[in-house]
Amino acid sequence: MNSSPSKSARTTASPKSASHLHIPVEHTTLANGLRVVVSPDHSAPVVTVGVYYQIGFRLEPRGRSGFAHLFEHMMFQGSENAGKMEHIKLINSSGGLLNGTTNYDVTNYFESVPSNALERVLWLEADRMRALKVDDENLRNQRDVVKEEVRVNVLNQPYGGFAWLDLPPVAFRNWPNAHNFYGDFADLDAATLADVQQFFRTYYAPNNAVLLMLGDLDPAEAFALAKRYFEDIPPGAPPPRADVTELPQTEERHGEVQERLGPLPAIAIGYTMPPRESEDWFAAGLIDRILHGGRAGRVYRKLVLEEQIAVDIDGGADLIESNGPTQMVTRIYHKPEFTSEGTVAVFDEIIEDLQRNPVTLEELDPVKVKFRSDFYSMLETGMGSHMPRFGLMHFLACFTLFDGDPHRINTILDGFLAVTPAHVQAAARRYLVPQNRAVLFRKPVNLPAPANSLVGKGGAR
Amino acid sequence: MSSPIASAVSRRSEPPALAPERPVEWPKRTTRVLGNGLHVVLAEARTFPRISANLYFRSGNAIVAHRAPGLADMTATVVRTGTASRPSRRIEEDLRRMGASLGTHAGADSSSIAAVGLAESSSGILELIADLARNASFPDEEFERERRQRFEELRIERTTPGFLAGERLRRVLFGKHPYAVVAPTEDQVAAYTRDELAEFYRHHYIPGDSLLIVVGDFAADAMLDQVEKTFGDWKAPQPEPPMSPEPPKPSGRRVHLVRMPGNVQTQVLVGNLAITRRDPDWYRIVLANSIYGGAFNSRLVMNIREQKGYTYSPRSGVTPLRQHGYFSVSAAVRNEVVAATLTEMFYEMDRMRSVPVPADELESARNYLTGVFSLGVATQDGLIGQLSTVYLDQLPEGYLESYREHVRALSAEDVLEVARRHFDSANAQIVVVGDREQIIDQAALFGPVTEYDASGNIVPPRPLDVMEA
Repeated sequence: MNSSPSKSARTTASPKSASHLHIPVEHTTLANGLRVVVSPDHSAPVVTVGVYYQIGFRLEPRGRSGFAHLFEHMMFQGSENAGKMEHIKLINSSGGLLNGTTNYDVTNYFESVPSNALERVLWLEADRMRALKVDDENLRNQRDVVKEEVRVNVLNQPYGGFAWLDLPPVAFRNWPNAHNFYGDFADLDAATLADVQQFFRTYYAPNNAVLLMLGDLDPAEAFALAKRYFEDIPPGAPPPRADVTELPQTEERHGEVQERLGPLPAIAIGYTMPPRESEDWFAAGLIDRILHGGRAGRVYRKLVLEEQIAVDIDGGADLIESNGPTQMVTRIYHKPEFTSEGTVAVFDEIIEDLQRNPVTLEELDPVKVKFRSDFYSMLETGMGSHMPRFGLMHFLACFTLFDGDPHRINTILDGFLAVTPAHVQAAARRYLVPQNRAVLFRKPVNLPAPANSLVGKGGAR
Repeated sequence: MSSPIASAVSRRSEPPALAPERPVEWPKRTTRVLGNGLHVVLAEARTFPRISANLYFRSGNAIVAHRAPGLADMTATVVRTGTASRPSRRIEEDLRRMGASLGTHAGADSSSIAAVGLAESSSGILELIADLARNASFPDEEFERERRQRFEELRIERTTPGFLAGERLRRVLFGKHPYAVVAPTEDQVAAYTRDELAEFYRHHYIPGDSLLIVVGDFAADAMLDQVEKTFGDWKAPQPEPPMSPEPPKPSGRRVHLVRMPGNVQTQVLVGNLAITRRDPDWYRIVLANSIYGGAFNSRLVMNIREQKGYTYSPRSGVTPLRQHGYFSVSAAVRNEVVAATLTEMFYEMDRMRSVPVPADELESARNYLTGVFSLGVATQDGLIGQLSTVYLDQLPEGYLESYREHVRALSAEDVLEVARRHFDSANAQIVVVGDREQIIDQAALFGPVTEYDASGNIVPPRPLDVMEA
């Protein structure tokens, strides 16, 4: 453990130099293997607490698509000393907010509360780490809720699930990376209470988790509370890890799905990213921002502003939060009067330029400034304005679970800010290649007449 | 293998009591009205080296809804695409160089230019906001490009159930009042001219009575000097606000069905006119709403999600626009349970109106509101949101500081009274968006049905309905 007297995350950055964050971070491991990370900040009387389990939808059992997420819902349905709805009631009535999310490689449960409720939150999280107490009715109820979640987010929304659900089955061949993460309804229906308890025993042991506490707290007290509430929860056997390795890809992969509601053809282009924290991985982080950094990004500039083929584009890569194969994905919504094939050809010109010509410092330096600024924004919020430091918590959890070192939060930026034009070019040549990418077309069922039939040259009908 | 379930000793345990509350210290605010009438509010929040600066004008889409719906929106969109000295590309590159993101938006009652970025670039960020507010040039080609994008956005909105439900509710609640219109038609967008945009800009992007909020990592004195230097010499005349017709007073429940053939889920939205933040009932209705459906731990969520599994996403809310507010309840539900959902929504509304809230539920809801309010002080985005509420709605200066005391003073009687006044279940308007054939019979149980297509046109009723009418 080390401790820092600083009150908040100050930096000593000058505009051109690599910045040095000084976020106070302390960590320990309890006797049962539970890792505990704290980061004090007394600027407001609130704390954010999270428990991250190292199990995500990538790691869920074969033939049980959607189970990790369904299970996440079950964690709100009752534990040994807190019945159904009591978790939610206790947090809300303490003046706090809570939620949980299922991700590729982790599932998290988190609360933001006034700091006088810290102990109560720990009691609750410990209670449900110790024992889940749910019945068949809870399972039936949450299965129904999850189906409505899938309908409202995917089946009944224009471009629902695009492309986080559409692209992995095209891009990957290994089931853990390539299946339907929200779950086929048949698989959800097949889930039993026995499956739920088995999953809990396998993956929800303290030695497969990290507890994080951030905000208005005293580290020594926080560690003492963690010990008091969590340390007597028995450890489990080390959980099995799904083999998420992909066999080498030899050619570009293609897929096509229907868009039932939306009027525009859409394209997702995914490039599989370099191994975590390799030199190319840091370069890929900058490539992502060179291509996708807002309206100054090369893809928006070319496809939306200059060529006016696309109506909108976005893109990104979840580098820090992935612990296995992951892609940088560009999403393009283009005008119906252009073909998807032709649009990809113009996109390819952007990629070829990045491979052929080194990026200038005049472009790269501002991209780094924006990268740093966005990193701070992410740390401060990351999940709405009422979950203070959610992003900081999220990254601390990933660095702890994947790299064994939460202190990377203070140094990770240096790796990105040290990337040179030569790194960018080399990584673009190695990774932005057809045999490392997947292209998905999402085609509207009913293509409308092009909207430019409405507007003549003068802009009137 | 040791198993936590088998080996954990079952021990009854109670949740620990709350520790003594730490006081919420609102960041010190510096407020100043510049000579040109611009209201400036500064708050230091120095955890991360960022600043957020938002400039708000007190005119939005409502003020032009009678002649050009959505014109304020389109004006805000085109404002960022060029000034007298900066073409579009330069603006975007300047932003990146300062580590900044920019948003220009218009709502019903206001237009805004907002930027967040690195504290070390504060002066450049303020100068860019001022340049956009004072010198926007409305380049023709940028306007045409944005117009085309707006067409496509409108088409996507017209396939989004939540949008269609909200649009229809606003229509039926507000009638001839400008708040009735939330989006233009494609024809209306086609009719905008560059000169109209420039005229809206000239009349409404003005310093007088406008509001600049800056939150973040700075010293207030130095920031105030910077603001004065950047915005102090800006002068423009201030127009008179127009009067708006009153919204209708509906009598009886009516059902408004928006057809989306083949939809696998129905968007349900129920609402009635209520109040604004300036109404003495405001704190009461916020508390009643959080008990009814405004929190995870609320009656509506417990009922139709956690007990019945009809929906993932039930919620209720009060939307306070400047002149009027409304209360609404929404849920996306499977098609078979539309009638059942409406029954429970009205049951819970009527329960709020007829039975006093039990003491523990009241206490829990008060704690929820006061606690969540303090969470909002802990991020720059939260602070901007809270401060803009106070100053845009012209609430009393101590609103933020006294909010928690006001909420703590509320009783079960307050909740009952406000529900009787503003949860108007007898005259609520009901919107359902979905596959007509699967939901029409269920919807018709709750009142006379009017049907619309996704473009908002009334669809002629079928012969049977005509005979009944």
